[in-house]
Amino acid sequence: MSFTLYNYVLSGNCYKIRLMAALLGVKYDVVGVDFYPGYEHRSEAFLRLNPAGTLPVLQAGDMVLTETQAMLTWLAATHDDTGRWLPTQNATDMARVCEWLGFANRLTSSAGLARLHSMLDWPVDGPTVKAAALRDLQAFELALTDRVLEGGQWLVGDHPTIADIACFPYVALSPDAGLEHDGFPAIRNWLYAVRALPGFITMPGIHYLHELNEAANG
Amino acid sequence: MTSYPVGLTRDLAENRVMRAQAGGVDMVVWRNSKGALAAWNNRCPHRGMRLSHGFVRGDRLACLYHGWHYGQNGQCAYVPAHPELDPPASIKTQTYAVSEVAGVIWVAPTDAQEAIETPAIAAGLEPLRSITASASEAAITTASLQTAFSGSDLPQAGANGLLHLGERQIALICNQIDATSTQVHVLIDASAALSDRRAVSRWCDALRRAAETMTEESA
Amino acid sequence: MSLDYARNDWYAVALAGHMGPGITRNTQLLGTPIRISGTADAPRVTDDTGAERPAVIRYDHVWTTLGDTPRPLFDITEADEPDRRFVPCGAVRVRCSPLRAVENFLDIAHFPFVHTDILGAEPHTEVAPYKVEIRDDVDEVWATQIGFYQPQAAKSATEAITTQYEYRVPAPTSAVLYKTCPPRPEAWDVIAIFVQPVSPEECIVWPWMALIDETSHFADLVQFQQEIFLQDRSILENQLPVRLPLDPRMEIPTRSDMTSVAYRRWLKKKGAFYGALTEAA
Repeated sequence: MSFTLYNYVLSGNCYKIRLMAALLGVKYDVVGVDFYPGYEHRSEAFLRLNPAGTLPVLQAGDMVLTETQAMLTWLAATHDDTGRWLPTQNATDMARVCEWLGFANRLTSSAGLARLHSMLDWPVDGPTVKAAALRDLQAFELALTDRVLEGGQWLVGDHPTIADIACFPYVALSPDAGLEHDGFPAIRNWLYAVRALPGFITMPGIHYLHELNEAANG
Repeated sequence: MTSYPVGLTRDLAENRVMRAQAGGVDMVVWRNSKGALAAWNNRCPHRGMRLSHGFVRGDRLACLYHGWHYGQNGQCAYVPAHPELDPPASIKTQTYAVSEVAGVIWVAPTDAQEAIETPAIAAGLEPLRSITASASEAAITTASLQTAFSGSDLPQAGANGLLHLGERQIALICNQIDATSTQVHVLIDASAALSDRRAVSRWCDALRRAAETMTEESA
Repeated sequence: MSLDYARNDWYAVALAGHMGPGITRNTQLLGTPIRISGTADAPRVTDDTGAERPAVIRYDHVWTTLGDTPRPLFDITEADEPDRRFVPCGAVRVRCSPLRAVENFLDIAHFPFVHTDILGAEPHTEVAPYKVEIRDDVDEVWATQIGFYQPQAAKSATEAITTQYEYRVPAPTSAVLYKTCPPRPEAWDVIAIFVQPVSPEECIVWPWMALIDETSHFADLVQFQQEIFLQDRSILENQLPVRLPLDPRMEIPTRSDMTSVAYRRWLKKKGAFYGALTEAA
C-alpha cells in the first residue's frame, strides 16, 4: 500500500521512516514541511492533520499515523514478507523490539533535543538535555556490549529489526550536539553495520560509506 | 617511549578507522584491508580535517573532506580533484608507532619505526570492553577498590596488578586523555562465563559512575 | 587588533520574517551580547550596554554593525529583481571559525565526498582550471569559469548537468554563489551565506537564496539548501586548528584551492583577522 510522508529533511524521526522505506525498497510520496525556519508544523493546516504538531506524519488512505515507532511497525508489517524486521513469531524477541521502540522515544527527547539546541538554538536547557543524552548513550553502549559478548551484532536476534532503525538516527547524530562516539566502541561498530546495510540512505550529519562505492577511482 | 592503550583489537576490524588520544596527541588509528594497523596525526595536511572521519580503500586511508588518499607510510598518493597529479612528497602525515599486545592497541607519539614498550600484562586475560570516564586515572584506581561487585563485596587488589572480583580476575589498563577524562580497557580471565562477563561489564559502568562522582565532589 | 576590522562590517543577526511585536532575539556578535527587537519595518538592535546599534533590513535579514565607521553593506543586485523567489533558510550554529565556514562555501572539490549524489559523485571528481582574481576596484574576491559535474544541481534540476559556477566574496564573512539555473540557462541562481561571528571559534550561518524557480514548493527549496549546508556542518566542526590559518605553510593547497588561497591572501592583506590564526593576531 502506497503512502504519503510529511517530511522535514533535518528531522531524525522523519529520516527513520525514509531509511526504513529505503531498506525495504518501498516507494512513497513526500510532502515537505517547513519545520524551520517556517514553523509550518504549528500552522492551522498542519495541526488539522496532526493536532500534536509533530513530524513526521504518515498517511495511507484513511489511516494517519503520527508516532514514528508506529510507522516503523506498520511499514515492516505491510512491506516485509520475510518477517525479519518485525519478529512477531517470537514473543521474547517481539517484547525486546518494543522495549527498544520505547527507548527510541527517550532518545528523541534527550539526544534529539540536545541536537536541536546545539544546531538551531532550540529553546531548551542545553546542559540538561545533553547530560540526559550522554546517560542514554552510555546505557545503549552497555546493551550493545552485551550483544558483542554474546556474539551478536544487532539489538535483537541475528537480523536487523525496526528496533535498530528506531534507535539509529539520534545515536548516529549525537556528534551534532557535541557528543562524539569516540568513547563508545560498541556503538561505533553497530552504527557502521547499519550504514553498511544494502539500500542504506544518508541524511545530513550521517555520511555515506565511500569505501563501499564500487564506482570509485574511475 | 611511553605507550598509550587506545582501544581493543576486537573493536577495530579491517577497513575501519578510529580516533585515539595519546599523551595529548590527537591521532587516527586505522586498519587496512589486510589487517595492518597505522597510527597518524589526526589531521589531513590539506585543510586540517580530522582523518578519523575518513574511509579505507584497500591499503590507503582517504580523508572524508576531499577524498585525498594516504598510503600506509602517510604519504599522499591520490588527489581526486586532480586525478593525473603525482602528489608531491611534501604532502605527508606524521606517522607514529603502533602495536597490538594482549588484544589491546598501543600507540606512542614517536617515529613509526621505533619499537614501543608496553607494560607487562598477566597471562590468561582477554579483552572485555573499553569505557571512557570523566575522571582522572587516580580516581579510577581509587574507585575500583570502593565499587562493590556483588552485594557489598568489594574488589580485592591481587598480584601482577590484577583485581579480584569474587571468583573473577580482571585488569584495568588506563589511558588518561586529559585532566578529567580517562579511557579504561578492562581485561578478564579467559575462562570467565558469559554471565560473569555481563556482570563485570555492568560493574565497569558502576566504576565509571563512582569515579565521576568522586571527581565532581573534589572539584 | 583582529576586532578592529571586524567591528566595521555589517552582519545578519535575525530573520526579518521572525520579527514582530513582543518578540526579542538575544544573541552574540563578535563576543558582544546583542538584542534584536522591533518589527520588520522598524528593527532595533541594542548591545550589552543598552546602546542602540544601527539596524537595517536587507536580503530578508536584520543587519547590524558594532563599528562607528562601518563600510557599506555589499549589494546583491538580484535581490531587486521581481521575478525571483527569495528564500531565507534560517540560522545554523556551527562550532567553527566564521572564516572556515566561508572558505568551505567557496570549495567545489568536496562535493563528491560530502554532498554525494547531489552536488557531486565519484568518479567525476576532477576540478578543471578556473579563474580567480582579487578585484581591487570593488575590493572583492571573484572566482569564475568554474564547471563541475552535478547529479542534482538544484531542486529544479531533472538530470545530471555540468553546472557553471561563479563565486564572489564581498566581505570576510559573506559569500555569494552564482550558479547555472536549470529552468533558465541564460540566468544565474544566487545562493549566499551570511555568517554571524559569535566568537573567533563559533558562528551562526544564515543561508539565503534568490532563485528562478516558479514551480518548487517553498518548503522544498528551503530543505534542499538546509540538507546541503548541514552536510558541511560535521566537516566544519572537525577541522584543526579551529581558526583559519593564514600562514601558507600550515596547510597545503592544490590547484583546485585557488579560491581559498586568494581568500586567505585577501584576508591577510586587509587585516581581517577575526577567526584567523596568524602571527600578527
